[in-house]
Amino acid sequence: MNRLVFIIAMVLMISVQVPAQKYVTKNGYIRFYSQSAIENIEAMNRQVNAALNTNTGDFVFKVLMRSFTFQKAMMQEHFNENYVESDKYPDGTFIGKISNIREINFSKDGIYPATVEGNLTLHGVTKPVKETGTLEVKNAMVTGKSKFNILLSDYRISIPNTLVNNISKTIEITVEVTMNKITN
Amino acid sequence: MKLWLKILIGLMIAGIIAGFLVYKFLINKHQPDYEKLKPEYSLDAGAFYREFKVNPDNAHKLYNGKMVQLSGKLSKIENTDSLAIAVFVFNQGLFGDEGVRCTVLKKFNAEVKKLKPDGIIRIKGVCSGFTGTDVIVEHCSLIY
Repeated sequence: MNRLVFIIAMVLMISVQVPAQKYVTKNGYIRFYSQSAIENIEAMNRQVNAALNTNTGDFVFKVLMRSFTFQKAMMQEHFNENYVESDKYPDGTFIGKISNIREINFSKDGIYPATVEGNLTLHGVTKPVKETGTLEVKNAMVTGKSKFNILLSDYRISIPNTLVNNISKTIEITVEVTMNKITN
Repeated sequence: MKLWLKILIGLMIAGIIAGFLVYKFLINKHQPDYEKLKPEYSLDAGAFYREFKVNPDNAHKLYNGKMVQLSGKLSKIENTDSLAIAVFVFNQGLFGDEGVRCTVLKKFNAEVKKLKPDGIIRIKGVCSGFTGTDVIVEHCSLIY
């Protein structure tokens, strides 16, 4: 936990000669969606911490697993207790970079394609990921959006045999974080 | 009608009723009415935050997933498109304010937006954990 805060702090502090442009939010949004023949399951989390350093491209986000809200109480209970084991692994994190950060003009409003590369940690398992999305610069705020899929088995999340038809092996993740500029 | 047939029909009806009840009250059970849940802990918001800051592992074990009631001086209200968040600020860090962030139930959004900073409030909700900078409490309702 403290290691992540330290890494985020480093992301925000690394700013060689140029004054750092740092954007953060504590109200980011992540949704995951599972589509199967029997039922569709979705959960949302609107308390995502995210930080971006526009000089270096360093980008991190952190999400508390217990902050995911499901429509049905039992799904939420299974998610926390059986699948992601929220007590043992209370958060998910991404630590990486916007690899094409130089192509994004943060002083000009617009929507820019972005490529994000880094390590996603879920359920105590860290995997490298590379995904595409957009960064929208508008009114001195930056909104990052991306939609990608993860394989549950990659993160050692196993589904009991009785529920294999209810939950997809591949989960769609939608990320949307609107970050405000900070001056530190 | 033969006895075995009556028993069979009776068992089938009992099975259908049991299946319906399991589906309605267990599988398809919706989220609880958080406003009506009784808090398992009642604390000062500052003391609650310090417990996470000083010993996060212990605080996680104690409070995560539990309904907690907090009281303290409200620092500010943050609004997003769909959320109102009551914030108790106790520290300043690289991300700015740090403290306890209480996301209120939608039905309290309007009431919370009327609250004035520096007023003493009592609020209860479910603790989701510590992000390293803030303690997150969700499904919150105001207590009068």
